[in-house]
Amino acid sequence: MSDRFERLGWKNKAFDMLNVLFLFGLMLTMIIPFINVLALSFSSGIASMRPEIVLWPKQFSAEGYSIVWKSLDIWRPLMNSVIVTVAGTVLHVLLSSLAGYVFIYPRLPGRKVMLTFILITMMLPQEAIMIPLYVVNKDLHLINTLSSLVLSGLVSGFSILLMRSFFLNVPYEMSESAKIDGAGEFRIFLTMYMRLAAAGLATVILFEFVGRWNMFTAPVMFINDSMKYTLQVALKAMIIDTSSNSGTYMVTTNVRMAGIVISILPLLAIYPFVQKYFMKGILLGASKE
Amino acid sequence: MRLLKKYSALYVMMVPVIAYFLVFAYYPLVKGLQTSFQDYKLMGDRPYVGFANYSAVLHDSLFWEAVINTLVIGGGILCFSFVAPLVIALSLNEVLRTWFKKAAQMILYVPHLLSWVVVGGIWIFMLSPDSGIINMILVHVFHMKPINFMADSGWARWILILLATWKEMGYTCILFLAGIVSINPSLYEAARMDGATRWKQLIYVTIPQLSNTMKVVFLLNTLGILRIFDEVFILRNPTIAAKVDVLMMYTFQKGILEIQLGPAAAASFFVLLLTLAMTLVVRRITRFDEV
Repeated sequence: MSDRFERLGWKNKAFDMLNVLFLFGLMLTMIIPFINVLALSFSSGIASMRPEIVLWPKQFSAEGYSIVWKSLDIWRPLMNSVIVTVAGTVLHVLLSSLAGYVFIYPRLPGRKVMLTFILITMMLPQEAIMIPLYVVNKDLHLINTLSSLVLSGLVSGFSILLMRSFFLNVPYEMSESAKIDGAGEFRIFLTMYMRLAAAGLATVILFEFVGRWNMFTAPVMFINDSMKYTLQVALKAMIIDTSSNSGTYMVTTNVRMAGIVISILPLLAIYPFVQKYFMKGILLGASKE
Repeated sequence: MRLLKKYSALYVMMVPVIAYFLVFAYYPLVKGLQTSFQDYKLMGDRPYVGFANYSAVLHDSLFWEAVINTLVIGGGILCFSFVAPLVIALSLNEVLRTWFKKAAQMILYVPHLLSWVVVGGIWIFMLSPDSGIINMILVHVFHMKPINFMADSGWARWILILLATWKEMGYTCILFLAGIVSINPSLYEAARMDGATRWKQLIYVTIPQLSNTMKVVFLLNTLGILRIFDEVFILRNPTIAAKVDVLMMYTFQKGILEIQLGPAAAASFFVLLLTLAMTLVVRRITRFDEV
């Protein structure tokens, strides 16, 4: 904000130093745990159990990963999570975009009623209807199915409004001329709006992907069958419920850390895109509230 | 009618969304209200019992424990995760080197992307009394006795508050930074003309100009208080349960684990009412509608 030349005084310099140190200290609280986890996951089982600070693998081995994969069968919850995340995200984005598209027509009869209908769902905390939601899922025979997780939060007012604001940036004249050429609403939506609002789509996809990958409340409520566990639930059983042992099988620290690393890999893979689109989405979203 | 026909495709596009909200939002809401007045069993008769469920909940000491825990932990999170990101945003704003600013922002944001299972798993390990880094530092650097953070009811609430702050501060910080960036630069120029130091610019320009962003953040955080669930579910253990079980945890235990759906639905409605009441109060206090 201020010019460089007025920062020459020693007070300013000292302040800058302290400021950077403060931020650096905060960053360390994120970096050190992460390095610690990574280093332990590549250590041997015995070395990982020793009480010392590990910032570099001790007795390097990938044993943690092979145990978590083969003996603890983490691939099954991993696959469940992939299915739920991908199916849920695709459907969520499609349905929310459809509704978002509808709301760009300012003179649509009944628009206000529909908008209020959606805004009310945004005021309603999901958690407050947790119990009846469980009953609804039970009545629909969805308990212990992955479908219940795909259906959980399948549409959200937040995404609808977000998509709407991205669609509003698409020039209106384009759809007008397409309509004169005889294109139907649905075709205009698919071929023009979905393509032109790609940045918006990316934002909603990322939001949903992260949210669904990390989804925890819904699987805890709707899933009891360990074959249907998602990664987060399986991970909780593995790293938190068993501080040192799980029945017959001892879960060593390196195995637990390997589980953590596997579960955050997809998130790290999309982080560059998050950087690009998330920030924009967050700001648009916050201004909506 | 002509209009309706012209727009018919649009209404068709709305059908799935409306159907979804009817089945998975409105119906459960009504159903929940109904359940809260019933002696609800999964099978057989479900006689109406008036306000019996509500009074059962109100006479349950566990419920009041949960209310207190929610207010203490939620209030703590509300304060800390408002102040911490604000301080960080202001501090980041004073950093000259762009690369450092970007790197800091990037790293501070990462915990927000992680699930509570991962964050909980990492910190339970970091805080463990025998091999956690925190205790190693306490023992070897400060020559203190190791503290069993996760089993100490004195620490339990603090751990929950601080971890929630740690997880979300990078995210909230972005909101504040965006607010700072949109401050009119001529205000700073004018302040500098008047000889304002950096500190004075911060106090008299940046902070007052951020008030709208602050209101938004505060409102968003308030709405989150009563929803705390994942964090508690993951970090709780029998030793600290009495200090950390929040309202959502109470509802979950009553409804899903003990299958007492009537009282659980009643407790949910208290949560709903509290949320609405708090929203109104915060809106009134911050005069949000005037933004």
